[in-house]
Amino acid sequence: MRDRALLLLYLGAIVAATFVHDPARLAAALAAVLLASGRRAPRVLARASRAAAPFAAAVSLGWLAASWWEQRPAGAALLRLNLRVLLMTSLTFALAARLDLQRALGFSRTLRFALVLTVSQVLTFRRLHADFRLALLSRSPRRVSTAASLRHGAAAGAWFLRRAEHDAAEIAQALDARGFFLDRR
Amino acid sequence: MHVPDGFLGPQTYLPAYGVAAAAWTFGLRRLRARLDAATLPRLAVVTATAFVLMMITVPLPGGTTVHVAGIGMLAVLFGVWNAFLSLSLVFLLQALMFGDGGVTALPVNALAMGLVGSLAAVGAHRLLRPVNRDAALFAAGWAGTVASATLMAGVLGLQPLLSRAPDGSPLFFPFGWKTTLPAVVLPHLAVGVADGVLALLAGRCLAPRPATAAPPPGPEAP
Repeated sequence: MRDRALLLLYLGAIVAATFVHDPARLAAALAAVLLASGRRAPRVLARASRAAAPFAAAVSLGWLAASWWEQRPAGAALLRLNLRVLLMTSLTFALAARLDLQRALGFSRTLRFALVLTVSQVLTFRRLHADFRLALLSRSPRRVSTAASLRHGAAAGAWFLRRAEHDAAEIAQALDARGFFLDRR
Repeated sequence: MHVPDGFLGPQTYLPAYGVAAAAWTFGLRRLRARLDAATLPRLAVVTATAFVLMMITVPLPGGTTVHVAGIGMLAVLFGVWNAFLSLSLVFLLQALMFGDGGVTALPVNALAMGLVGSLAAVGAHRLLRPVNRDAALFAAGWAGTVASATLMAGVLGLQPLLSRAPDGSPLFFPFGWKTTLPAVVLPHLAVGVADGVLALLAGRCLAPRPATAAPPPGPEAP
């Protein structure tokens, strides 16, 4: 119940953030989120900045260049856009630490089951992906070339497909052996 | 390709949630009606695979990188509705667990990539399958990516028309179609090739089989 309420509160805050257009209020809301995060505030801000930076920077730089070319002010629009993006992403990271997603989405048994299976596989695959990337870096004395990156990406992609085939068959057999599907037939 | 929070206005994401909610309900009912011992584990594992494949970046000339999305692969293997649910789950996890994408952008990402992309992929696959099976798989991957990128560019380019401040400055994504269509669609013509190769590989080695078959041996690390 607590997780579902937390998720609803978060969704309400996210929607509200898209109706606020005054940069001062967006900045105040961002400060409030960071204050509410307590000691985790620097981490929340750093993670939010890292997650939002690629898309926001590309759009901001493009808009800045277009505004300079057309000789129109860009400051207010850029400030508003970036503050809103940072506020919404910070809200997500502030929530992520406190929310049990499986409990929050527990209203559907099928959805919860799919979520549990998927999250467990995602976490395993993410760790393996990071391991493969570190292995590539550790066996490359110099900066990894584009060709090596492409070969590595292709090999890792093919590996994950084969691993998916193996895991899907294994999980299906394990569930069947434990009678998971008996009460559905 | 998928858009983060803060770039789409409520005039876009609220109606999109309405459409996506109807599609999610229909897809979940359909999945529950056809649920068997093989479907759900396969769907969950391939969802996780799509998630991790989106983390594998392909370097492009000029220092930028792109990633495959696996739309064609999922659509060909599981059909349009299961691919839609699977990709929606990927976007939900990315948004809530890793801050990638976003909750306001979720329905647009899900509809563009999960539904429209899957429809285009399955359409291309059905059209070309009688001619050549491999070409059909490749076309499915390519068409899924390009169709969803085109829709996404259309939605992004709509933002400055929908919401502007009294001084005329944009409130959300600032560029119109003249910028978004070439900037988003052109790179995805190339990304589509990578997605086509992925769909071809997956179509060959991940064809659905009965759950009673022995699991194949685990692969060796690359």
